[in-house]
Amino acid sequence: MNRAEIKNRLTEIFQDVFDDDDITLTDNTCADDIEDWDSLEHINLIGAVERAFKMRFTVREVSGMKNVGEMMDILEERGK
Amino acid sequence: MIFSSLIFIYLFLPICLIGYAAAREMRLKNMVLIVFSLIFYAWGEPVRILLLLLSALLNYFFGIGVRKYKGNAAKAVLGVSLAYNLGMIGIFKYSGFLMENINAIFGSSFPVPQIAQLVGISFYTFQVMSYVVDCYWEKIDPQRSFTKFLLYVSLFPQLIAGPIVRYSTIAAEIDSRHTSLEDLSCGLTRFIIGLSKKVILADQLFRIVDDFLGGNPESLSVVGTWYGVIIYSLYIYFDFSGYSDMAIGLGRLFGFHFNENFNHPFLCKDITEFWQRWHISLGSFFRDYLLPLPIFGIRSKYLSLAAVWLCTGIWHGASWNYVIWGIYYGIFILLETRIGKKKMKAIPIWIRHIYNKIVIIIGFGIFYFEDTSQLLPFLKNLTLFNPNGFYGTMEQVSFCNNLFLIIAAIICTFPLLEIPKKIAANSQNAKITVSVLGTLTSAVLLITSSILLVDATTKAFLYYRF
Repeated sequence: MNRAEIKNRLTEIFQDVFDDDDITLTDNTCADDIEDWDSLEHINLIGAVERAFKMRFTVREVSGMKNVGEMMDILEERGK
Repeated sequence: MIFSSLIFIYLFLPICLIGYAAAREMRLKNMVLIVFSLIFYAWGEPVRILLLLLSALLNYFFGIGVRKYKGNAAKAVLGVSLAYNLGMIGIFKYSGFLMENINAIFGSSFPVPQIAQLVGISFYTFQVMSYVVDCYWEKIDPQRSFTKFLLYVSLFPQLIAGPIVRYSTIAAEIDSRHTSLEDLSCGLTRFIIGLSKKVILADQLFRIVDDFLGGNPESLSVVGTWYGVIIYSLYIYFDFSGYSDMAIGLGRLFGFHFNENFNHPFLCKDITEFWQRWHISLGSFFRDYLLPLPIFGIRSKYLSLAAVWLCTGIWHGASWNYVIWGIYYGIFILLETRIGKKKMKAIPIWIRHIYNKIVIIIGFGIFYFEDTSQLLPFLKNLTLFNPNGFYGTMEQVSFCNNLFLIIAAIICTFPLLEIPKKIAANSQNAKITVSVLGTLTSAVLLITSSILLVDATTKAFLYYRF
């Protein structure tokens, strides 16, 4: 899966988790940009991404992720 | 030793400050702080210092170990460090509770360990755990100097009751720091504000709490029960936030800038926000280190929520009321999560304020009664099912006698210091006037607190227990 495909898939997941079809993602999208994206919803988001991409983030990655770009970096790396 | 004692304010602190100022090099300044921190912690019970030193020594090596080794070896070091740290908290805080419950469930008669409470263990152990995990996650570099690491662990301003200071917050200041005149002035003012919260407000409010909840709470009227628990809520806020103010102020005197632990929690609009404003360093600890863990291999916000609130409850003490208290808050946070932020915001603000204050106040009632057999009568007495009537003379007399104290306490829950800050921003003259008045107010508060301390048996901070 290339970066554009990852982004499209992630956009669908974000829209689903935050129940908002207007969400569009960039590399810099972070928790401040999406009202419902707090530390608790972050866990649900991570769970949904893990299920969709059939992979597992490490605890460090979950804790340290700063924005969507970093999430895509990890997904891209794991997809190789 | 506690901050709100004459021996600390007029003997320990001045000597420590003089010694600190006299030391020219940073290495010597750090040594002065370590020596005074160890004296501070050993005061009255020297043995506990050995456990602190052991914890510092082992975690110093754990921090280096998790970075020196890679892969499974690093994981093993991390595992040992967590087992040791959690094990120490388990032994010194929960072993008696655990054994009592085993005996109660299985009808056994295993001896219940009588281990003395180790003051501050929950706070300093959480600090060193965060340090080792951050080293493992490569968020920070391990400290190679044991002296500097020991300073982080033992630093007396934050050693016993928080804030839970992350190593990354003060890593640079451990290496090099400078106490400016502003640091001295702000630090001293902050310390006096904290001292006043504790001595002028919290300790005085506690007398009322003791009369109502500490006496025979089952005989209180509806209003009497609410009155007692509202005063207790104010007491616990001024006691704990007063300690945090003193800790942050003392840190500032030595050039350290700790994170804030309170942000006017009673101004919150919902329970979720309350916990973003109350004991912030504990909430952020669980957010950063517990929330990301998969629970039973699953990442679900509901399981994580349950884990965080169970741990928050248990962290506060080895008693079922704390567990109930944690679950109680977990339920309301879950409820707010289910409603959603947008719908919560749509609820009229006055309803949200009434809702959260009732939840918080009843919550503190649950927090108060370590004897859980008193919990149900207490909850019943809050309602019209109270057999003692709606209103009694006891609360009327107490309220009239303590009217000024209660009004002052309620006013002080608001961000009052913003007012002089705004006035000072207007002009240079206003700044000078605010500065002079601020100094005079601080002097009056210090003198008043000192007089009250001369005349009273010093009460330890509530959070020393945790």
